[in-house]
Amino acid sequence: MTARLVALVIGMALLPAAVPVGAHHGFSSEYDEKKPVTLTGVVSKLEWTNPHARFYIDVKDASGKVTNWNFELASLNSLRRNGWTQFTLKVGDVVTASGYAALSGVPMANASSVRLPDGTRLFAETSAPSVQQTPQP
Amino acid sequence: MTPAQAHVTRLKVHVTTFAVSVVAAAVLVTAQQGQAPGGAGAELSTTVNLGGGSGWRGVVPAGAVPRLPDGTVDLSGVWQGGGPGGSNGNLERGLAPGETIPILPAAKAKMASRGVLDNTEALCLPAGVPRVPSSYPWRMVQTPTHRKATHIFILFEANIHSFRQIFMDGRKHPTDLDPSWYGHSIGWFEGDTLVIDSIGFNDRSTLDGNYPQTTQKHIIERWTRKDLGHMVNEITIDDPGAYSRPFKVTFPATLRVGDEIMEYICNENNQIGIAGGYIKAQ
Repeated sequence: MTARLVALVIGMALLPAAVPVGAHHGFSSEYDEKKPVTLTGVVSKLEWTNPHARFYIDVKDASGKVTNWNFELASLNSLRRNGWTQFTLKVGDVVTASGYAALSGVPMANASSVRLPDGTRLFAETSAPSVQQTPQP
Repeated sequence: MTPAQAHVTRLKVHVTTFAVSVVAAAVLVTAQQGQAPGGAGAELSTTVNLGGGSGWRGVVPAGAVPRLPDGTVDLSGVWQGGGPGGSNGNLERGLAPGETIPILPAAKAKMASRGVLDNTEALCLPAGVPRVPSSYPWRMVQTPTHRKATHIFILFEANIHSFRQIFMDGRKHPTDLDPSWYGHSIGWFEGDTLVIDSIGFNDRSTLDGNYPQTTQKHIIERWTRKDLGHMVNEITIDDPGAYSRPFKVTFPATLRVGDEIMEYICNENNQIGIAGGYIKAQ
């Protein structure tokens, strides 16, 4: 799986600053660049859809309270062109997701990277021999 | 070559070409920021979405302009660009140096009042004309395929999964058009340039996501294929309901060899406005 995400290896490191991608909506109208979040939780649901794919994780805080976070990804089309499939994330996976929090304060975020239990960092690493020399973010 | 080997090869190409494209994009950013204050720079600095466009990082091919057996330039293929796009509007990017958009006060006020939920693309409604839906690809189809077209179709991948049709058979615009998102388009060739004349638009769409339009909008596109991988669209916008005079913008398009347009059903899971607080989650 990780090999299939190689197109985003350096992409994630550089995309925010350099590539004029056209989003379905403006980032700044929905999310806050000044509110980065990194959360660990169990994947409860996946939505392999347009205009954005999404995954939801249950995050438990120090008091034991569980909050379900909605992480927005790119469009299904964009992900697919970069190696993602509907099976890249699975319900039950424990993941650490990083991104930018919603302006409104609801538990939503625009995902920037996802780390799996085995250490695989989606968008950031790959085990493919052919691309191990690529720069890491 | 096995499918797995082919995949790895493709990914190698992605990495190599992306490195090149990053450099090119950095140059582009610099140029655009100097050219369009408040436009390109503002959009780029806030576009952190994971490739909210199409995610394409292929190579633009080199070569001569392809032609049909009768000598007519062949414009068919999967393309990207050719008009203002993106989520925040960028019509200014297409202006010639020193040119401005002659927007009328009422239209300017309308634009200023526009909110997130007034963006048709965000609402999964058509991007319209000449707006191009983000960086998603579109396919130009000419028929017949062996001589000068009588019909040309533009098939959009995204926002929305729809099409334009250009009548190349010599007909005129009807006199009783209903206002529509893509309008009514007739076309012809002037040398190697495809000219498309369109009227019959509604006033719900916009030129680029920001700049408004009225039902008086008249668009003339002049598509010229420069070589195998590049096409230029010079667009004349004439809308006396919103602009004091006709003006021109020019946008390049590039060929996406090896890519195909995909399904994109925007209304499948549109959660626009919830994260921003404009709509309450259900």
